[in-house]
Amino acid sequence: MATSMLVQGVLLIFVWILAPSLLGVAFVGAIIFSTFTMGQRVLNEAAYIRIDHKANDLYLAGPMSPEAYFLGMSAGILVVYLAPVVALGALAAAVVHFTLAQGLLLIALASIVWVFSASVGYVFSTFFRDNRAIWAYSSLFFNVFGVLPPVFYPFGLFPTPLHPVALLMPPSGAAAIAQMSLGITHLTSGELALAVGGLVVETVIVFLFAIYWARRTVRAD
Amino acid sequence: MTDVALRSENLRKVYPVKGAPPIEALAGVSLEVRRGERVALLGRNGAGKTTFLKIASTLLRPTSGRIQVFGYDVDQTPEKARPYIAVVPQEGKPFFHLTPREQVYTYLRARGIGRETAKARTEEALEKMGLIECANRLSITLSGGQRQRAMVATVIATEAPLLFLDEPTIGMDPFARRSVWESMRTLTRQGSTILLTTHYLDEAEALSHRLYIIERGRVLVAGTAEDLKRSVGGTVKVLLPGGAALVESFRTFGSCVTEGDALTIIVTPERLGELMELAVRSKLMATVGPVTLEEAFLRVVGRSIDEN
Repeated sequence: MATSMLVQGVLLIFVWILAPSLLGVAFVGAIIFSTFTMGQRVLNEAAYIRIDHKANDLYLAGPMSPEAYFLGMSAGILVVYLAPVVALGALAAAVVHFTLAQGLLLIALASIVWVFSASVGYVFSTFFRDNRAIWAYSSLFFNVFGVLPPVFYPFGLFPTPLHPVALLMPPSGAAAIAQMSLGITHLTSGELALAVGGLVVETVIVFLFAIYWARRTVRAD
Repeated sequence: MTDVALRSENLRKVYPVKGAPPIEALAGVSLEVRRGERVALLGRNGAGKTTFLKIASTLLRPTSGRIQVFGYDVDQTPEKARPYIAVVPQEGKPFFHLTPREQVYTYLRARGIGRETAKARTEEALEKMGLIECANRLSITLSGGQRQRAMVATVIATEAPLLFLDEPTIGMDPFARRSVWESMRTLTRQGSTILLTTHYLDEAEALSHRLYIIERGRVLVAGTAEDLKRSVGGTVKVLLPGGAALVESFRTFGSCVTEGDALTIIVTPERLGELMELAVRSKLMATVGPVTLEEAFLRVVGRSIDEN
């Protein structure tokens, strides 16, 4: 749990020292990044218990459905890693002074990002045959897609030609919507539609694909 | 429910290999396991035992052939077969952050078993497997044998009608192995059916009502351990260290196998005296004993079970 907060913690300290006025943005980003990296935990855990513990053989050769296995594992990881995210949320509320609507929107956005990343994590976990490869690639993947785009910093600082790309990436799209609700970032109605549409549509597609993939991979060919 | 727990007909599994000829792991396996039986698949490493078990437990698709669990086609309707089965996977491990008690209980709950029943069955399975004393220790702190017992406890607690156990006693001490055997006997008396793979000949002999010897994806022989031993051609085994050079002289007494400079002859009790006279005349030491499943395996397969 402690390591799950390492990147967010370090970035928050940097922002606090270098640009304290952006602390609100950084807190919002840290919460979204935290739920995004839960997909990395799902990837690591799902692959590890399949490869090392043969848990798939134990659980899937029985009455449990493959989609229940995927959802149960993802929910289990959420429960384990939720405490530090809640603590982060409480700290953010104290620093940023959210309204109830802003707080609820942030929870909704973080939840959607969690569904997206857990689905991606589970699907990717099925491709690996060796744990050592997973740890290297999964950290890289989740950190690059969670740190480089405007998740921890204002959306407006991202190069304008790349705005649509950032809005279509669930972590930065969700962060942009959250920043807009806090009045930190201005999005045009087109940009907002792109962010909301992208987030919802991509999440639904990836989630449904993960369900299909869980069923598809329960038996090897 | 049908009386046949498992039936396979001409089951084949071929693995394609990039840039090499495909590997035929199963080359038409037909077998039947009746309800309440304990049946062992006996074979060397790579013989196809685990592949068969993976297909039977719905985790691997066959290339061709049919396989049914309690009348349900495993390939076409796996979701109908799954509620009837539970599997101890080869080299499976309990979750390290759970205790054996939590491991068994969680698994039973995941299979949809109610709280009270799951609790009762957990305690019973831990007791049977001799895990009560370490039931509250994290699995990561357990020995290899204890972890394996936790896996077996997890699966026998399900009381599923058909249990697949892939090398269930690997890494266990003799005492623990006997506990597992006793639990399996109890389970089949209560109506469960067990198909296990093993390369321990004593386990197959002590535990199974019937066994199938598999080699290179084919069933070479099926029957009881006694049937197999009788098929060797005698009930007495004579080992003559240094007798390999004289194999031709002894061949008339029965089947001969040489291993290094030692000669093993399977002989009927009636011809034992005559053979011993020849051994004494040839100035050879002799060790006499009953034929075991090992000789039967060696004769059927042509190689020892430990030979790769």
